[in-house]
Amino acid sequence: MSTITISNLRKIYAGVPAVDGFSLEIPGGSVFGILGPNGAGKTTTFKCMLGLARADSGEVLYDGKALVPQMFEQIAYVPERSVLYEWMTVDEHVEMTRRAFSRFDAARAAELLAQFNIDKRKRARALSKGMRTAVMVALAFSRNAEILVLDEPTGGLDPVNQRHVLSLMINEAAKGNSVVFSSHQIGQVERAAEHIAVMDRGRLILQGLVDDLKADRKIVEGIFPDVNFTLDGIANDSRVARADRTERIVRLLVTAGADEIAARLSGAGAVGVRVLDLNLEDIFLYAVSPATATTDVVAKENSL
Amino acid sequence: MNYVEWLRVRNLLRIVAIVLAILVVLAVVLRVSVARYMSPESWIAHMASGTGTRETRTTLPDGTNRVILDDPADRTHIVIDDHGYAGKHIVVTEPTSRAHKENSNVNVGSIHVIESPHGDMTTTVIDTNGAVPMIYYMALADIVALLVATILAAPFAREIDGHLEVTLTKPCSRFRYAAGAIGADVAGIVAASVLTVVAFYLCQLLFESARLDFSGINARAIAMGVVCPLAWYALWCAATTWFNRSYGAVLGFAWPITIFIGILTLVPTANAVALFIHDVAWVLSRLNPLSYVSFAEPTSSGTLAYTGSNFGLRLSLELLLFVVYAALAIWKWQRVEA
Repeated sequence: MSTITISNLRKIYAGVPAVDGFSLEIPGGSVFGILGPNGAGKTTTFKCMLGLARADSGEVLYDGKALVPQMFEQIAYVPERSVLYEWMTVDEHVEMTRRAFSRFDAARAAELLAQFNIDKRKRARALSKGMRTAVMVALAFSRNAEILVLDEPTGGLDPVNQRHVLSLMINEAAKGNSVVFSSHQIGQVERAAEHIAVMDRGRLILQGLVDDLKADRKIVEGIFPDVNFTLDGIANDSRVARADRTERIVRLLVTAGADEIAARLSGAGAVGVRVLDLNLEDIFLYAVSPATATTDVVAKENSL
Repeated sequence: MNYVEWLRVRNLLRIVAIVLAILVVLAVVLRVSVARYMSPESWIAHMASGTGTRETRTTLPDGTNRVILDDPADRTHIVIDDHGYAGKHIVVTEPTSRAHKENSNVNVGSIHVIESPHGDMTTTVIDTNGAVPMIYYMALADIVALLVATILAAPFAREIDGHLEVTLTKPCSRFRYAAGAIGADVAGIVAASVLTVVAFYLCQLLFESARLDFSGINARAIAMGVVCPLAWYALWCAATTWFNRSYGAVLGFAWPITIFIGILTLVPTANAVALFIHDVAWVLSRLNPLSYVSFAEPTSSGTLAYTGSNFGLRLSLELLLFVVYAALAIWKWQRVEA
């Protein structure tokens, strides 16, 4: 069991769609990052995937099969917030997990907790936010699960432990297990994930291999001699995803054929034409938040 | 799968055990404090303090110490057979005019008193080491069990309150989890009853050779005493599951609401309003398992009997309420979302 297929998932809370027709295929044996702004529907998607929330429509299949409780032997979940029992010690949480999951490796849990510098005798209420996250992560990674669903797994952790969690995720994928995680820290996603999906307002707006997305997407920037210029239809090219203008400068987000678009821009009269690489943060911001991606006026050809 | 619920039960039983242990320690202190008052010598000295009383002491072949107090002037004759730890058998013969006018046949705890008037004299037989009816133990055990049941009666609401991501991602069905959680709590409630009975039995042992009676009426008392707290638990388990966001308030008001409704059922039906209030309260009280509880009361003959009619029906109703309320709780639990 490793491939997760989400088809047309829809979940509505109080008339507002939290997830709206979301479809995605998460391949096995990979690290899959889900990005999205606050309220994009990432956590709700995870809850629907795991049966914690009932989808209004759509389905989630694991290797083609609907989720049944017994599958949780192979699925580990780390939620966004602490779900530890305040009154229980870390040791008791380990024991709880050991009793619930037949494949749980107590020695591995002890090792991971030691790496996170967690005192197992402490009650959860005595742990900091980061320590609680570390306990949940340690328990999840000790389950020998084939699928790990991690919702903000580095929340509250210090940079050293954040890096440690990313290493754990990559190791799991190397063992052939699937890791699906969400994070607001795009740098972490870029470092760990092979695939990403970007959600916004409950919808999937972008997905693919990180390397492909970065290779395909470029910024073509051109400077015109004066503010009165036209793009000769360049902005309407299907490969141009966005066109932003500031005074004499125009920036085009292109999804393919950057060099050809650059040549066309030169032909239109631009004098300083450059092709710029995008990092994942740029891709994310262009996808979900145009206003954040650029303070410039956003317009297509007809308004340029 | 229900390790957390078992931990909750264990922690609560630990507190119950500590409280009961303190009670036993207090009983030990009391036993030591009253040791000299409870000795046969001091008791007989008190009885023989009247002027003109003759005292005769003998030891019977079986080792029983017999003291005979005879006061011809008062026409009072007392025979005390002291069996030591096994209790006393006392026969008092006195003028009927000095004996109790009302029927004084009494069974309280291990004390049994039977008065037999004959002519102008009355013979009173007192045994201090009778079997203790289980109703006493079960009444005490139920107080503890009901408190424990009230505290435990939110197994699902406590999970809904921030732990569903743990509970619902275990490899077992919601029904199985729910049945296990209720099972753990039921075991805890029964264990609290047993602990209480054991503690009070120990307390009694400090004072006399306690004998328990599990027959007849006592078996009924045990059955009712065990089932009633379970039905009470199920009632509040259902309530906390349905009103899970305010389960603390639900449990906090469980007893005040129950007592308030109970008081309303006692409203005299003097006028239409009072009758209406009484009837509404009565109907509401039928939902409460406590309203079907009836242990036993002394009868006119001095023996204990189950006075509530239709014991079988009442017990069946308690069991039915347990099943219905538990089913309501599980039904709601199967529909909760994180």
